[in-house]
Amino acid sequence: MATSTSLAAALPSRVTSPGRRAALSCTTSRAQPRPHPVRAVSSVGPRCRLVVTCNAQAAAPMSIGQGTPVRPTSVLVVGATGTLGRQVVRRALDEGYDVRCLVRPRPAPADFLRDWGATVVNADLSKPETIPATLVGVHTVIDCATGRPEEPIRTVDWEGKVALIQCAKAMGIQKYVFYSIHNCDKHPEVPLMEIKYCTERFIQDTGLDYTIIRLCGFMQGLIGQYAVPILEEKSVWGTDAPTRIAYMDTQDVARLTFVALRNEKASKKLLTFAGPRAWTTQEVITLCERLAGQDANVTTVPVAVLRFTRQLTRFFQWTNDVADRLAFSEVLSSDTVFSAPMNETYQLLGVEAKDILTLEKYLQDYFSNILKKLKGLKAQSKQSDIYF
Amino acid sequence: MVAAVSPPGAAGAATIIASFHGTHCASPSRAAAPRPRYHGSACCFAAKPTPAAAVASEPGQDQDVDDEGGVLGAANGADATLSTRKKRRARKGKRSAAAQQQEAEEEEARRKAEEEAAAAKKKKAEEESRAASLDLDEVMAVSPVGLGRRSRQLFDEVWRKFSRLGQMSSASATEALAEAEQAVLSRGGPMCEFTVPGAQDTTVLVVGATSRIGRIVVRKLMLRGYNVKALVRRDDPEVIDMLPRSVDIAVGDVGDPLAVQSAVSGCSKIIYCATARSTITGDLNRVDNQGVRNVSKAFQDYYNEMAQLRAGKSSKSKLLIAKFKSAKSLKGWEVNQGSYFPNAYASGSSFDEGIDASFEFSEGGQAVFAGFVFTRGGYVEISKRLSLPLGSTLDRYDGLLLSVGGNGRSYVVILETGPLADTSQSKKYFARMTTKVGFCRVRVPFSAFRPVKPEDPPLDPFLVHTFTIRFEPKRQRPGDGTQGATDPRNFELILEYIKALPTGQETDFILVSCTGSGIEPNRREQVLKAKKAGEDALRRSGLGYTIVRPGPLQEEPGGQRALIFDQGNRISQAISCADVADICVKALHDSTARNKSFDVCYEYVSEQGNELYELVAHLPDKANNYLTPALSVLEKNT
Repeated sequence: MATSTSLAAALPSRVTSPGRRAALSCTTSRAQPRPHPVRAVSSVGPRCRLVVTCNAQAAAPMSIGQGTPVRPTSVLVVGATGTLGRQVVRRALDEGYDVRCLVRPRPAPADFLRDWGATVVNADLSKPETIPATLVGVHTVIDCATGRPEEPIRTVDWEGKVALIQCAKAMGIQKYVFYSIHNCDKHPEVPLMEIKYCTERFIQDTGLDYTIIRLCGFMQGLIGQYAVPILEEKSVWGTDAPTRIAYMDTQDVARLTFVALRNEKASKKLLTFAGPRAWTTQEVITLCERLAGQDANVTTVPVAVLRFTRQLTRFFQWTNDVADRLAFSEVLSSDTVFSAPMNETYQLLGVEAKDILTLEKYLQDYFSNILKKLKGLKAQSKQSDIYF
Repeated sequence: MVAAVSPPGAAGAATIIASFHGTHCASPSRAAAPRPRYHGSACCFAAKPTPAAAVASEPGQDQDVDDEGGVLGAANGADATLSTRKKRRARKGKRSAAAQQQEAEEEEARRKAEEEAAAAKKKKAEEESRAASLDLDEVMAVSPVGLGRRSRQLFDEVWRKFSRLGQMSSASATEALAEAEQAVLSRGGPMCEFTVPGAQDTTVLVVGATSRIGRIVVRKLMLRGYNVKALVRRDDPEVIDMLPRSVDIAVGDVGDPLAVQSAVSGCSKIIYCATARSTITGDLNRVDNQGVRNVSKAFQDYYNEMAQLRAGKSSKSKLLIAKFKSAKSLKGWEVNQGSYFPNAYASGSSFDEGIDASFEFSEGGQAVFAGFVFTRGGYVEISKRLSLPLGSTLDRYDGLLLSVGGNGRSYVVILETGPLADTSQSKKYFARMTTKVGFCRVRVPFSAFRPVKPEDPPLDPFLVHTFTIRFEPKRQRPGDGTQGATDPRNFELILEYIKALPTGQETDFILVSCTGSGIEPNRREQVLKAKKAGEDALRRSGLGYTIVRPGPLQEEPGGQRALIFDQGNRISQAISCADVADICVKALHDSTARNKSFDVCYEYVSEQGNELYELVAHLPDKANNYLTPALSVLEKNT
């Protein structure tokens, strides 16, 4: 701890050709110790290659061992307004943690977090100077932040995260939980996955006590994508990709996270959380149709079209963000299965497999609930029809 | 969901409603629709009142509406406002969060839409002044603005869906998803393990909301959608900041009856987790004893007041069976004597035998039942036919509460059931009650009554017609021969009143007490005494109570270790504050928790290799409710 931990990590700004992939992963996997905190922004060819070098030597040795001990129940959740983040906050509050939420300053603050009893602090990962103050008195950092789809992927997901992790290291945070993506090491062509993978490596190199959790897909995402359009009798867009994803309920993710957090055996480990079964898009749509009792108006987009669009958008500077957004199509076309055997994880955490929610049950609950409401609404609207 | 934002946003929701109705509704607000695509169907239900809101908030627009549209709006508005008023209040915070998310998302679009809407409205007003029956869609079709907007909407929609296909659904949850999910959550939708049905209609007063347990209790209640009121001692900014923003805050000390009175109003449940800050006797008495007394009294008063407003009786107030305040009130009470050994009594001419008893109104204004029973196996009793007020029957009551004084003997309360006309068929049920020297109140639950003949069915309070208090001297041990003032065969019982305690399904008042382990030994007795007094006050209040006595509290996350529920002061382990808070919240709606006191602590974990037996225990998780099975084996009315 007393030695200065100089950490270097590099991430190219954009991957433009598959050929560069090898060189890139090579650069990132090597954490280069540098004598000085140098930030070199060097231009390599037409592409800009940014090297982030950081020096995480700080007052850490001073703050540990003296002063008021940090309460183990104090938790900072980064990205608390997100799909997963809010479930993590709920779970943490319910288990009796003191939760602090790091959210971006907005015109209207995230009131629901305050209403649940969490403390909200304003900071922006893309502005590193705002981070340290939020980490004072925190024992555990749970990082479920991701950039919004409309903003460039690097500012939050890479630069912001690096700043946060360095800060956590410097301020003696005693546990760092990071959510990554399953198979992120196998798809460096997808920027987000590559960034997640680099961040994983970065955390492992810092010497923080970490738990990295790789996730596959959230059931909550399916509601907006398939369930709602089917109910509204709008067209549902799907691909013909054979990719299978083991969707998982975010509440289960949050629950398992806290079990892992308290489990000594899960410290400095990389865990993968996957749902009970892997589903293709077509299967999910079929299931939704069956539960909703009506046929979906499915528009199937061939993966080739997606890939083509991505290739096309990559040609122009101004559509590059769009290209990044479509990057997942590369994965879709590669016939990957986003799932992992969970038996070992269950055993490690002492969780029973039957407590994990299945997608069938989840969607069934959703549809039965919503159809009930819909019936009530129709009955009401009939009454008003009399006046019509 | 979007009622709070500007009219165009509201109009967006209205479009969806219209499409849900399946009718072609030419509402003017449709013209102002920006991009309705971010409203999941989940939002639509919450957005029900918005057409009305849109119509009502813009009188100018209202005039433009042709008659049919106006009626529809009004009709919708009438029932929508009625049905959603409650929900809206409960979702105050969440709605604003969702609205703000949407704002961030659609700010750009809305600004444009607003301008366009204004233009469209102007145009429409002109056109409608010329031809009132012109279809709005036609207006849109001919207007270049409308055309442009439409095509853009279409393109946006397609592009959004297309681009979503190429995204990681796990990592980049779009705002739309988040919003849809928000709506699902806030409506108590699927898989929301936190929401409790009916929570929005329940207001819980948390006394001592800033205590170690109270803080967590408040959070848990908020998560489950309850309305929470917090009673705190001081309204310092740092105290207020500790509590969620939509918690009602009442400031006051529990020792102050007036402050408590105002805090209690409007609440339907109370969780009392305040404790004295020091072990000074005055402090202990004020918080742990008088505080509980004040709060339970204020709660009862509030219920009675509410009942009076409804011109009825509170379901939680006690029923007066007899009050002994004048000589007249003794009418109807008969004094009888008897013996368990009839033949011994008949031949009773022994020297030290004799029974004498009287029940009369003394000069001091007290109804005194006094006398002596020297006969072996003899007893005396006073009894009365019950005459309950019209419309009230004892089956709606849980037990009896007697306020008595005297020299501290033990008595038997006997209830007689059966047809009034034929006393030979009546069945008798008895329960023992012990009194203290001086005045005290004794609680005798109906569940404590046992049939005199073992083959009789358990007591049905509905059938009770006669009430009896019997004195029978305890069998004398050969050892204590001294006679005189302490002769157990003399008795004196001063009766003040007899009331029936109301019954109910759920607990009204949860009190967090303590077991006494973990308190510094030299003050333990005083602390326990104050706590005990508070507990007793609560038991006698007639409210449904749950008294939780946790072991020494630890500040750690809850839900990790198995818990032991026990009665009788036998626990030795600690427990986390979060677990106690969880028990409190679970007990709110648990009928097995009503009128129970119990100790709770962690399961004892023996050291490795030292286990004597394997405990079958389970950790609390989302699937199982550990409280009900644990409490159902414990005794009631403790």
